[in-house]
Formats: sequence, C-alpha cells, structure tokens
Amino acid sequence: MEQLQYYFKISLISIKRAPLPYLLTVLILSLGLGMFFANATFYYRLNSDPLPQKSDKLFFPMMLLVPGDCDSGCEPPPVLSYSNVQKLGSSGIPTAQAAMYSSDSYVRLDSKQQPLPVRLRLTQRDFFQLFDVPVLAGSIWPDNSARYEVVIGKQLAEKLYGTADVVGKSLLVDDRHFTISAVINPWQMLPRLYDANNGSHISETEQLFMPLETAYDLNYMSATMSRTMDNTDYRQLATQGRTGALHQLQFWVQLDTPAQQKAYKDFMLQLAQSEQAAGRHPVHINNQLPALRDIVRYFGRESGDVKAYALVTLLFLVVCVFNASHLSLNRYISNQYEFSLRRALGASRWQLQQQLLVDVVVLTCITLVFALLIGAASIQLMNYLWPFNRLFASWDLSLLSALLLLSLCCSYLVTLYPSLRASFGALNQQLKE
Amino acid sequence: MSVRLMIKTMLRRKVVTVLLLVQLALTLALILNSMVLAKQTHERLQEPTGLDLANTLLVQIKPTTPALRQYPALGELLERQLGAIRQLPGVVAAAYTNQSPLLQGGNNGSLYKVGDEERNNVSTVPQYYASADIFQVLGVELKNGQLPQILQSFDSDSSPPVVLTESVAEKLFESDNPIGQATNQGTIAAVVSDFYGQRSADMVMYNTIRIAPLYGVDWGYSLLLRVDPQQVVSVRSQLDNLLRQVDSNIEIFHIRTLQEQHQRLYNTEYGLSVLLALLSALMLLVTMISGYSNAHFHVLKSQKEIGIKRALGANKVTILLELLAEGWLCTVLGGLLGVVAAVLLNQALALVISIPVLNGWLVMLTLLLLLLCVTLATWYPARIATRISPATATKTL
Amino acid sequence: MIELAGLSKIFRTELVETHALRDISISVNEGEFVALTGPSGSGKSTLLNVLGTLESFEQGDYLLDGKSVKGLSDRELSTLRNEKIGFIFQGFNLIKDYSLFDNIELPLRYRGFKPAERKRRVEHALETVGLAARRDYHPSQLSGGQQQRVAIARAIAGSPRVLLADEPTGNLDSLMARQVMELLDQINRDGCTILMVTHDPDQARRASRQIQIIDGQLSDAVLYDPLAVA
Repeated sequence: MEQLQYYFKISLISIKRAPLPYLLTVLILSLGLGMFFANATFYYRLNSDPLPQKSDKLFFPMMLLVPGDCDSGCEPPPVLSYSNVQKLGSSGIPTAQAAMYSSDSYVRLDSKQQPLPVRLRLTQRDFFQLFDVPVLAGSIWPDNSARYEVVIGKQLAEKLYGTADVVGKSLLVDDRHFTISAVINPWQMLPRLYDANNGSHISETEQLFMPLETAYDLNYMSATMSRTMDNTDYRQLATQGRTGALHQLQFWVQLDTPAQQKAYKDFMLQLAQSEQAAGRHPVHINNQLPALRDIVRYFGRESGDVKAYALVTLLFLVVCVFNASHLSLNRYISNQYEFSLRRALGASRWQLQQQLLVDVVVLTCITLVFALLIGAASIQLMNYLWPFNRLFASWDLSLLSALLLLSLCCSYLVTLYPSLRASFGALNQQLKE
Repeated sequence: MSVRLMIKTMLRRKVVTVLLLVQLALTLALILNSMVLAKQTHERLQEPTGLDLANTLLVQIKPTTPALRQYPALGELLERQLGAIRQLPGVVAAAYTNQSPLLQGGNNGSLYKVGDEERNNVSTVPQYYASADIFQVLGVELKNGQLPQILQSFDSDSSPPVVLTESVAEKLFESDNPIGQATNQGTIAAVVSDFYGQRSADMVMYNTIRIAPLYGVDWGYSLLLRVDPQQVVSVRSQLDNLLRQVDSNIEIFHIRTLQEQHQRLYNTEYGLSVLLALLSALMLLVTMISGYSNAHFHVLKSQKEIGIKRALGANKVTILLELLAEGWLCTVLGGLLGVVAAVLLNQALALVISIPVLNGWLVMLTLLLLLLCVTLATWYPARIATRISPATATKTL
Repeated sequence: MIELAGLSKIFRTELVETHALRDISISVNEGEFVALTGPSGSGKSTLLNVLGTLESFEQGDYLLDGKSVKGLSDRELSTLRNEKIGFIFQGFNLIKDYSLFDNIELPLRYRGFKPAERKRRVEHALETVGLAARRDYHPSQLSGGQQQRVAIARAIAGSPRVLLADEPTGNLDSLMARQVMELLDQINRDGCTILMVTHDPDQARRASRQIQIIDGQLSDAVLYDPLAVA
C-alpha cells in the first residue's frame, strides 16, 4: 500500500514537472476518445438487438403478389395488401402472427377537451406476444376481429387520466368512443425493428393500439408508407382496401424451429404457385422471409451517416493515440535520465513497470473524465444536428465499461512504447548524457 | 538545404517521424473528404429549385376532428383559412395543396400516356391537388397551354385536367405537343416551368398539378403563401394566431419558409458536413500540437548540432529555414501518403454515403492548408532554435 | 590579419559580473601559427570564441582581415565565419549521422557553392587529411584521431584565412595528437594563419608565437619567441 502511494506520488511529481505536455497528451487522448465514444454510442444503439432471445425467430414474409407484370427488379413490395396478409396468414404454421401499420389520431376524454395528437399502431392480438410487450393491467383482445377497444400505454394513460388504472374506461379516438381493454407498462423497443421497412424504426414506440379490422372499417390510412397498385380508392379502405392492391401493411410471423421455418417457406412457395396458376401472380416467383435481426439491413435502412462518421471518428482516435504516444514519448525521453538513475540505484525492470502501470492508471482516470465531458458535449451537438437519432443517445453500463476499457487500452498504448524506450535503453550511455 | 540530409535527420528519429507522417496523412485524408462532402452539400443547396424560397411560406396543418376532414366541411374550412390569409397585408397569393414542394417523399405516382404504359412510364411523379392560385404562389411560368382555373372534383364525370412541369412533359412527349394528350392522370391542360418536388423521386423537377379538392387529409395538408419580401417576418408571426382564430380544431405542424424547408431536405448531409468539419478542425489542431511538440523536442535535443552549424557559418535565417523545411518535407511526404489514404477513405465512405470523388485542386488546397498549419506550429520552436548561440558548439553538453 | 585593440568581454548574471577578457590587444600577421596558452578558466577559450565571432564583446575593437567585426549583423557575421574562419574543436563536433562527406560539405553548402565545386573541395580536403577512401563512413566508425582529421578537413575545405583550434588534441592519445599537429603544421606552411588554444607546452613550442592569458589578461610573457630560446 505504502509502495503504491509512493508510485502515485512519483507519477504526480513527473506530471508537475512538465504539466503542459501532460495536459496536451490528456487533451488529445480524451478528444479522440470523446468524439469516438459519442458516435459509438449511436452506432451501438442503432445496431443493438432489442429482442436478442427471439430476433432470429421473427420473420417478415414478402411475396410478389401484385397485379400486372412486375416492373424493373421484380422485388416484392415492402408493404403488403390486406388480401395478401389474409393469404399469408392462413398457413396455421407460425406460433404467433400479426399484421400491423401505423397512423395518426387525435384523442380526448370528452368533446370539450382539446384533442391530443397520438401515433396509433393498428394491429392484431399477437403483436404484444411477438414483441414481448409488458401488460400492466387488463387483457389484450381475445381475437383479431373488429372491436372498439384500445390498448393504451401507461404514460399516455397517466397523461390523459392522471392514473394508470384505466381499464374499462372510455376514450375518444378521433371522436369515436373506445373502451380501454389493457394498459401496457412503459416499453421502449430500440430500435423498433418491426417498423424498419419504412425507416421509422428510429422513432418511439406507440402509446395507443387499435384492432386492425376496426382501423380498416374506420378508414385509417398508413402514416408512413402506402402504395396503390390498381384503381383502389384509398378513401374506401373498409371495402376496396380489403380486396384491392392497396399495400400498407407489415406482417410478422414467429417461427420458432427450423422445421417451422421450412414449413412456412414451403407454404409461401405453394401459395405463389397456386396464385400463378390462378393468373394473379407475375411469372417470376420471388419470396422473401428476412428475420427481425436482419431487417434493417434488408431494407437498406442503416444510417449511412452514422456509419461514415464512425469510420472517421475511428481514424481520429487512431491519430489521437499516435499523437499522444508521440507527446508521451518526448515526455519520457526527457525523463530518461531519471529512469536510468533509478535503474542504476537498483530498481528492477519489474519495479519500473509497476511505476509505469500506475502512470497508466492515473492517465486513464484523468482521460476518462475529460473523454466523458467531450463525449457528452459531442452527443449534444449530434442531437442538435441529427435530431431523428436522439433516442439513441443514452449511455448504459456496458457502454461506459467499454469506454473505460478503451481508455485503459489507449492509455496503456500511449505509455507503453515510450516507457519501454526510456527504461530499456543502454544504461551507461544515458547516465553519461 | 539538402532533401537527402533532411531525410537522414528524419530517419534518425524513425518512430517519431513515422508517427508524424501517419498523422499528417490521416489528417489530410479527413480534411480532404470533409471538404469534398461540404462542397457537395453546399452545391446541392445552391442548385436551382425554380421557387422563390425566401418569400414563400409553408403552413403544414391538419384538422383535429373527423368532421372537419370531410367535404363539405373541409372545403369551407379551406375557404375560411385562405380568405383570412389573403386579408393579411403583404400576402400576394395563397393556395392550399395536399403537399408542399421540397419534400423527401410524399404523394406520388406513375405517369404515362394512355395506351403507352409499358413503353413510356415515369414512376414516382409527385402529384399535387391544389387550389387555382397555386401557380401564382409557386411563381411558375406558363410554358404551354392554358392553366385550369376551376376546381374540378375527382368524383365528377371527367377527371380534372393535369398541369405538368416542363421536364416531365419533355420526358413523356419529347417534341410532341403535350396539350390535350391523355395520360393515366388526366388530360394535359398546360405545361409550367420546373420546380423542385420530391428528393426521392426519379427526377426532382418532375411534378403534376391538378386544380382539385383535397383527396384526403389523413396526412394533413399545406397552405402556401407568396409574400411581399418586406413582410415575410410579419406575416409569418401572425399566421399561427390567425389560423387558430379561423378554426381552433386544427393542429399546426410547422410554419416555415421554403428556404428552411429546402435546407431540411439536406439535414443529414449538412449535419455530417458540420461534424466532419469539426473533426477536421480538431485533427488539424492535434496535428499542430504534434508538429509543435515534435519541433520543440527536436530543437532541444539538437542544440549542439545547431550550434555547430552556426559556427560553420549558418545564419539565423538558414537555421529557421532548415527547421521549417524539415516540417515542410514531412508535410509533403505525409501529404503524398495522405492522398492515398484520402482515396481509400473516400472509397470506404462511398460505400455508406453519397460522396463525390476527390479532385486535384482540392488536394493542392488541402496540402497548402496543412503546410500553413505545420509552418505555424513549427515557427515558435524554430525561432527558439535561431537563438541558440554558435558558441554552444564549443561547450561540452 | 587579426587586430585586437583593447578588447574586453564581460559575463553578467543577476548577481555577478565576471570580466572574462580585459583590455586585450593582439596583432597576428598572415601565415603565423600562434599558440594561446594559460591555465583553466583563464579566458583563452573565450578569446578564441570572440576571435571566431561565436561570441560578442563589450569594449575594444576586433579587425579581421582589415575590417572591424563590430556592429555586423548576424547574417554578415555568419558569412564571415563561413568564408574566412575554420574551426577545430576539442570534441571534434562532427554531426554524428552525417557521413564524412556530408560533414565536410556542410559549410560549403552554407556558402552556396555549386555541387561540383563542393565535391571537388570536399575530396581535396579529405585527401589532405588522408581519409579520401572513407568519404562515406560515419564519424562513429572512426577513431578519435581520424575524427579530428575530418574536423580539420571540414575547417579547411572552405579555404579559410584563419584556422581556430580549441585544444585540438585534448581528447587524443599522443600518437594521434602528433599526427594532428603535423597536419596543422602542414596547413600552416600552405599559408593558413592558425590560432590554437593548448595546455601542452610541447605543442605550444611548435607554434611560431605563444600568447599566454591569465585571468583574462595577456600575461607579461606575451611575446615568446621560440627561436630566442633555442
């Protein structure tokens, strides 16, 4: 212990001897780490897996079930029509399955209140099971049929009613009466992968859920992506929208085992063939079944800018580490005489290495503090410039430990070579200098 | 000064020199790519839009009650809103439209000549349903035909006539006269000058306009105002209140000039440019610190050598130039490496974002910038070196 | 060739003022070989530095080749050193990672000679000191005596009017010292004026004249004529 204190003392003395070079080393290293870490935060969060236990079991089936010949590419459309979902949902193979889309609505408790804009998810019963949505109270719809019942998020309930105890209460959604059948706990799926086909996966989870059939009856149009491939009038969702080629739905199936997955693929193939036979399918069959974990990449919705900046901040970090080692090398060479003297006085290399390790710890601690400050400032700037990514700006324990480890590695690198140079040089020559 | 001898001096400090070269190379690579990207963003923002960006205001709006989202109530609401806006001093013209120009994506569809769907089909052409004043608001020029003046409903027997922008008319009809020709969207009534529609469309200048009621307002609608340049600020500040007075059952998403709307289109690019510029500046700073510390340390270590050179007849300016030249040589060598690094970085970046290739004069400019910074950083240590007395040579250090 | 008139040099710190040289007047003619002797710290090295324009002086005047060096700018002094003076130091003062050629060539570069002229002069100087075969060696590959010969080659490559040598044999054993001294004799015979600081009375006696300095002043035995003793 006493020896450790001594090492710390020596470390501080050597900092005090030349504070400017040390400060510059710290500044440069923490700049590199801070800038890198800020972007790494977004990169890590945007690429994290919100459902690691089942992200390889949830799939997004797509088929080329469209009127007319396919135009260029013949890729299946990224949104599905109501009738195609009916067909894809008729297999009975998946453990759970749900079609869904999102829309905008205004809610209030009575017609005297100011309406509150709320993003709606229009979906089916299994949605909550598919994505592990935690239910606080009440029960989810027993089936997929139309009903004037909504599921509400706890935060929205508290905002509207002042309490989360709202099961059975009435709510006006676009001035139509709905009953609250369940309340869900605060739940944030980041990124919200089920919405990746239209690039909305970086926004917040919805706070209000309505049965999809009801939404079609009430003519809720998708707020993100809809495509009409024939003469379907999108103002007639309840009738034409259910039969025509109006594509706006997402469809997710849970296929737990490889056998299930194969069975579902076979089912899709058979479906395509029978549609072909019926003349409702272009000649070319192109069935797709990407998994949830690959969905962002599949739809090309990765953030190129964050990636580009990640590359550049990594380069910056490399330059900073080089630079800091450079500064540190100069500092250690200036101290070379002292090193040699210590060795001449009988310090073993191991003892010098211990001193070096203490130097590394001190450098890590100081650098970490500055890096966190710079990182936080940089994140603020990135939130300002790229507000759409702001949900992905927070730090957690694993990120912070990664930063700590990275700082330690960098500090070690920055200290290692210079100190080796200083402590393993030719003894007599240095003393003579 | 001999380059060979300077290289010899650099080789004596192999590790330090390599560190410095790598830094210089990476700095050049980053600055160069940042500049290319910033230049691209700037150029995109400078591209003509065909619109009077500064003097056109955009209000994005949505009725909050289902009743107001249906005709005839919606039609009355639009009339009341536009009527009130036209009363504002400084408003030259106002119109509603289902969507504004200068969007990322929005309402669009394919356009083809009737009977020619297979051969001549332009996909993703933005479709505007707007009131008759829209042409005056956008400030587009009539190129051919006659602008429709009357609102015509989709549900009537004949669908409303279509107005095309010049470039899409050329694409579809080439040298033929488009007026009176039938398309899947309706008969062509007029051709107007180009304006910027949607960024994700095939071509940003392709647009079709019909003078028609709003087809649906699930996504809200836009009110566009052309304003006297002197009164943009004052009109803008009154809009929110005015529209709420006309009818409080609305949500106003935003009130912007088309200038701001245009800038938002390039938000991500702009953000990346700013971040890269910041990083480049930091990189330069770091490199300058490095250059400074390197030169300073070098001078301290070679006092005797400098003293000998002074004794042998090198004057102060020679010493200063020798040290600066070492920095310049390092920069040029690092710069050459940097060009390679820049090309590699450019290729890596091109995989994830759209970035133009590097060009020669920008390389020269960046190298000059780097030279300037290195000179600044080396200046002070080199000045110290000139103060080393030639008598140092005779002392035993 | 060299005229010193009442020259004084003072070292000042905040507390102390040291008169390194007091009122020195010497005249050295062209072609002379002068030995500067005196005990350690007497000021003989300082005098040599002043003569070499490496250090400035406070009072008196110094005429080199008939021109006063007083008030010359750094650039003029540097040119003067480069063209008219050759230095030989006790510690050789070669630049260790330059080859012999590069070391000797250095002052010629400062003088602005063309490469061919530089090459000719360097090769000639190397021949003079007997090291022509080793032009690409580095100083560390040579013995002390050889290094000092390189230093002499560097000093004479520019054909200086005056050669200033500060204990040129101080770091050498006697055999090597003798070789160096013979070289200096030869250079002197070829017409170059030499001023040499030395401790060694034997070496001092080889000079045509001895000047002794004690406590920064010329001692009484200033004019010593070796011929008179013989």
